Amino acid sequence: MASQAFKAASRSLLIAYLLLLVALPIATVYVKGFSLGWQPFWEEISGSVAWKSILLTIKLSVVSTLIQAVIGTIIAYVLVRYSFRGRTLLSSLVDLPFALPTSVAGLMFLTLLGPQSPIGDWLHRIGIELLYNQAAIVIGLTFVTFPFVVRTVQPLLEQLDASEEQASYTLGAGRGFTFRHVVFPAIVPGILAGSMLAFSRALAEFGAISLISGNLPGKTMVVSVFIYGETQNFRPEGAAALSAVLLTLSLAVLWTINALTRRKGRLA
Amino acid sequence: MTKRKTFGILAVTVLTASVALAGCGSSNGNNNGGSSASASSGSSSPAASGSASPSSSGSSSPAAGGGTVKLTIGGYSILKDSFGELIPIFQKEWKDKTGQTVEFDQSYQASGSQATAIIQGLEADIAPLSLEGDIQKIVDKGLITNDWKSKPHGGMITNSIAAIGVREGNPKQIKDWTDLTKSGVEVLIPNPSTSGGAKWDINGVYGAGLKISEAAGQKDPEKAKELVAQIYKNVKVLDKSGADSLTTFDKGIGDAIITYENELLARIQKGQKYEEVIPQYTTLIENPVALVDKYVDKHGNREVAEAFLDFLWSPEAQDVLAKHGFRPVDEEVAKKYADQYQTPSGLFDTSYLGGWDQVNKDLYGTGGMWESVLAGGK
Repeated sequence: MASQAFKAASRSLLIAYLLLLVALPIATVYVKGFSLGWQPFWEEISGSVAWKSILLTIKLSVVSTLIQAVIGTIIAYVLVRYSFRGRTLLSSLVDLPFALPTSVAGLMFLTLLGPQSPIGDWLHRIGIELLYNQAAIVIGLTFVTFPFVVRTVQPLLEQLDASEEQASYTLGAGRGFTFRHVVFPAIVPGILAGSMLAFSRALAEFGAISLISGNLPGKTMVVSVFIYGETQNFRPEGAAALSAVLLTLSLAVLWTINALTRRKGRLA
Repeated sequence: MTKRKTFGILAVTVLTASVALAGCGSSNGNNNGGSSASASSGSSSPAASGSASPSSSGSSSPAAGGGTVKLTIGGYSILKDSFGELIPIFQKEWKDKTGQTVEFDQSYQASGSQATAIIQGLEADIAPLSLEGDIQKIVDKGLITNDWKSKPHGGMITNSIAAIGVREGNPKQIKDWTDLTKSGVEVLIPNPSTSGGAKWDINGVYGAGLKISEAAGQKDPEKAKELVAQIYKNVKVLDKSGADSLTTFDKGIGDAIITYENELLARIQKGQKYEEVIPQYTTLIENPVALVDKYVDKHGNREVAEAFLDFLWSPEAQDVLAKHGFRPVDEEVAKKYADQYQTPSGLFDTSYLGGWDQVNKDLYGTGGMWESVLAGGK
């Protein structure tokens, strides 16, 4: 009896928590976004600057996610399969972008790549510009989404019995063949889930990007920065409409991850 | 299986319930004038938490002497340094006169952002902002009910002009606005959707475009827009406030910055190796201040708030502002600093552009000049 009461209590607590902290704020954005009806909502998001910022955000998020999927998988493989000095240090560094305020990340890149630093100066002289353009945004996004793929692929690799790979080698398969036919199929769900998370995080990034992108509307302004501008300019409807688009995208991505991992029978 | 089903139903219930709740919330808000949903988000400003209760008790007996009274300043970003110098002077004067200690809560950010923050609940008693249009936003929401323009100098505390800052020796040979359109010149301006300074800068360029076309025969808004668009092509970073834009320039980014003359002079005084380029045609900048009645009444500190406003127009305060590069509105002080400033032959004020209402509509409104310049950018 007591345990049932406890269950009921904890369940209603959980629901209240979800309602207050997650569902209610999300719903507010949708309600505000659509508060003027469909037509104004559509005008807000199809305004040329708004629309360009949506496309730009998606494009650059995809680019950084692809980079992440490849590099992250390699790093996870190295961390699990090879032992070398400093591995634990490297492994703990992977999580650093999570712990760091993203504005600090932005500042780091500004300091590193700005014209006053030796590296920035050198890059400038050989004609490479990595600040205040789309490359800067990709660098920022890749940095802040760094841990996702590594951390979702790593446990799958650890579960994979090393003897399977050895068996493959013994049977005469090369490195590439073994990776493609033995290792890769086992870690695909991790790569997918990690990439999706990285993608949805990249869509939402603000702190680092607002510092290093230059924020030119239509050129280097991402949605989150556009939304910030709208709120500061006292246009809450515009901000909410764009937020609704961003939210929908993120929800769709997260739902896809859920569906994918459920089908594969694994929890990422 | 059943567990998953229950969870699904649960999730749906939670979502529906919250949509309903949120709907109620915002429809109530609309009845009250539309901003209740956003009011709660105003807490992002650090000074918003400075609540009114302690100050109201302190100021209820101002004549008694002693005690403290609190004033909250919600100003635009550029003022931070000069107010940092002005406030101790006022504190001393007020203490000598009434025995009261005045505590200041200060918040400085881009002018447009500041106006929005005040509307959303940042309880500033005094709002010195970059431009009249931002004060007007607060007036429109009913927070300022006094006739702020009836104050000395039409409510303006400082003047300046929109100017171009370049690096030592002017390596790119920039003499006027049109030089900013050359290829290879990187230009900085702040974003007019948040920054008041940016609006002044763009007004300066746009007005110059009008003047140039007028000199060539006919006043042509298309030509003026063309000049803005040409310069925008060279813009490298669009920071959120005038102060941020200068910080970016300090980092070594950009060949030229369009900014307030006073900021440039203040930087040069501090030892930065910049040079000021005054275009032939540029806009006079007038920075207003207003007392925010709603918050002053809530805090019960009108006496000291008005005294502070009057102080801003005193020769003493004007002198401090002039030292920070502003052009004083006080004529006597202005004479003293006359040789610090060069007034270009083609100086115009906002009335040349039709006044702020017109400017906000034609240049920065939906479908206005700035929007179409942005849309033209790739």
